[in-house]
Amino acid sequence: MLDVALASLIEDMIEKAGADGVVEFWQRVGDALASRMGKEAYLGWTSFNVAVREGRTAFSIEGDVTPLTDMAITDVDGDVVGYLYAMKQCCYVPTIFRTRYAVGRMSPADAVVMEEYNANVHNIAVCNFCVFHERFREEIAKNVTVSGNPLVSYLLATRGWSGETKISLKNVAMVNINEEHVRALLRNYECVYALVMRGARLKGGR
Amino acid sequence: MPAETRMPECNPFVEIATALFLEDLATKVGVPGLNNYLVSLAKNLGTAMPKEEYASWPEFLGALVSGQSILATFEDVQPVTEHCMTTARSPFDRAWREYAKRVGSFAPVHKEVADYFNAKARPTAVTSVHIVLHTFRETAAARIHVGGKGVRYETLATAWVDGTVMMPPEDRLDPLLARAGISHTKLGMLLRNHADVWILEPA
Repeated sequence: MLDVALASLIEDMIEKAGADGVVEFWQRVGDALASRMGKEAYLGWTSFNVAVREGRTAFSIEGDVTPLTDMAITDVDGDVVGYLYAMKQCCYVPTIFRTRYAVGRMSPADAVVMEEYNANVHNIAVCNFCVFHERFREEIAKNVTVSGNPLVSYLLATRGWSGETKISLKNVAMVNINEEHVRALLRNYECVYALVMRGARLKGGR
Repeated sequence: MPAETRMPECNPFVEIATALFLEDLATKVGVPGLNNYLVSLAKNLGTAMPKEEYASWPEFLGALVSGQSILATFEDVQPVTEHCMTTARSPFDRAWREYAKRVGSFAPVHKEVADYFNAKARPTAVTSVHIVLHTFRETAAARIHVGGKGVRYETLATAWVDGTVMMPPEDRLDPLLARAGISHTKLGMLLRNHADVWILEPA
């Protein structure tokens, strides 16, 4: 119920703090939740990817995450420094349908926050929850180490409940993954991101 | 009800995030401010739903049991008398369990705002989410007409996942039990394995 009520809360918040205020709020909430998740350490990518598949990592709080182990990210020396990860279903899609069937329609406040984020922060959101979501992953990645290296998260692509897709060109370039490969993943997944060792010298990185 | 027409389950992560959102809000606006937000969002949610009309009380009870009424959107409602309704599992159970598993113990502000609500409005909230639930039910009930008359909602007792029970003091409880048509003993029996006991009656 709280998830459906969230849309009403966002409406209220937009009136009081503006859409930019709601974006800031969501980002702070992402920081706050990540700070309560604790640290994690893994011997290597194999053990981390098994932990992701079994739902044991902080990333698993979002739902089922699939490590795409056939899509490794390599550094300038050709060493594997990261992988792509994907969720078959966006966390917020069930809430959108629940709101639709509880109230009759989705609140326009969802799109207002999403558009604010896309225009001024990162053009990747397909719903207001992406705002929180992206920051949350970025923050927990800092607390997870693989082979002693903390991670960094890059949100690459999203697909909204009505089929619209977004691909982050800057992040796709950063991890040196072909945009068409990412687009193909969106046929089967609704949220695709990369986890890479912090400080790795990526081929396409800046 | 066929599976595809039932309300889909939410991802508990969204509810956890909402709980954190409320905690962050409380740091900005304090406990009274958070209470106002919770009341306001529940009222907005209730008034966003379409009005309902039923020809008779039995027809209305049927809509509650089958999940067709707005009052049954988030919970399975089971009447024990004409006017006494029960909810077996709180609509917040799952999110609370996920929060406890993934994040830790519920932040104290959820209890503090419930205490504020109990002192200012009605003494029936164990934690913050009950402010939303009780206010939503009250708002939604006011949108329903049965046989041309409005419907009034009143909370009888609330039991949280951890077994904490909140109910009005004895002097206010007895008249409510009479309106519900149940005894004190029956209420105790219900609270053993139900999350909420509440009243719906013609206004």
